[in-house]
Amino acid sequence: MASPVSPINPYTPLSTAPSSSTNSNSTSVFSSYLGRFSKWRAELGLPNPGSVENLQKEVKATHLTNYAFDGGRADLTKSMSMNPLFQVTHSFALGSQTMAPSYNFGAIYATENVFLQGGVDHDGNVNARVNQGWSNGHVSKAQAQLSQTPGHNLLQLEQDYNGQDFNLNLKAVNPWPTDLTGIFVGSYLQSITKNFACGTEWVLQRPTPSTSELVATYLAKYTSTDKSWIATAQLQPAGILQATYWQKLSEKVDFAADLQLVATPMRRDAVATLGAKYDLRLSTFRAQLDSTGKVSALLEQRFTPTFAFLMSGEIDHFKNSAKVGVGVMIESSALSPEEMEMQMQQMQMQQLSPPQ
Amino acid sequence: MPSEDTKERIAKVVDVGRVRAPVALERTTPHETSAILLAQTILHYAWIPMIIYVGFTRSNPQPSLIKLISPLA
Repeated sequence: MASPVSPINPYTPLSTAPSSSTNSNSTSVFSSYLGRFSKWRAELGLPNPGSVENLQKEVKATHLTNYAFDGGRADLTKSMSMNPLFQVTHSFALGSQTMAPSYNFGAIYATENVFLQGGVDHDGNVNARVNQGWSNGHVSKAQAQLSQTPGHNLLQLEQDYNGQDFNLNLKAVNPWPTDLTGIFVGSYLQSITKNFACGTEWVLQRPTPSTSELVATYLAKYTSTDKSWIATAQLQPAGILQATYWQKLSEKVDFAADLQLVATPMRRDAVATLGAKYDLRLSTFRAQLDSTGKVSALLEQRFTPTFAFLMSGEIDHFKNSAKVGVGVMIESSALSPEEMEMQMQQMQMQQLSPPQ
Repeated sequence: MPSEDTKERIAKVVDVGRVRAPVALERTTPHETSAILLAQTILHYAWIPMIIYVGFTRSNPQPSLIKLISPLA
């Protein structure tokens, strides 16, 4: 074992480096190369590419696939406090063709580093989320879904590290420490130039200690210099490709296109989706057209700061069917106007002098 | 018509062949030990009350209990 050697300044020539043995010489050479490499890397000034989950974040926010609903819906949100954010939500859904009538109670508590969320269903299913942020770019997350029927429970642990120009994310779903069964996902995304980032995601499934299956996905993301458009691609060597394109046409209008292509020997399929989102002063309108013959629209209209009205419609032309949804969202605050003012002032003061 | 002897032999063979039904396992996988099930049950019932307790005690103007239950207060 080499005697401890202080790290060498990368700019002094190596001949003046103190070395008592060849072992310490090699570690000092290695640490000097490491120092010079990280200095060169920092000087490149590459931006952080975001995580692999957020690769298509803008496209998912523009398309209404995650927001469309049918039947009647009412969401009552009550925020008790802003600064450590604490909100309670009651959601009712009724009259849907695809889902049974449901009631859902949710609570959110968030400070700067900690995020706690819990929700309980009318059936008694509980879903829980915890996010804890550490100071050096690490975020630890845990998510659990617990149901009354045994065997349907799910636990997901995640560790996310945001480096200066890369992101590393490790997830484990239902892991068991002694025989390492479960599903393990590792993903890495690195900025190569100021506009281009590429990475991989590896999914290892181990349902029993003797069987395991590894699936790799390759990702690429190109962001324009003025950040007005983003193109991404995800490719699995088995023959699955997902390519997206998002552009901000103006400050009120977003456009997104999405292509999913499956070209395996067993199945050949493709779906293309085009969507646009209009962000107006009091409303948000999303419209979408699909290659499976579906045309959908979603309108969220805000009448007062506390009351918003939602309308969702989808027509499937090939199957000649339609789905319509109507909803209301009421956000009330338990704070009186003076308390709200105090909280806004506190938040502004915290933003001006961020904690060390 | 089989003789009494044959009937006896057949009955013995059937008796031996009848497998005793195994004691029904209350666990579905070898991972679900009673400690894990206890932890899951505790988490299931205590998670939402824990969030509500943390939110109530640490939010800035301490809200009263009625504000939690009634959406109008």
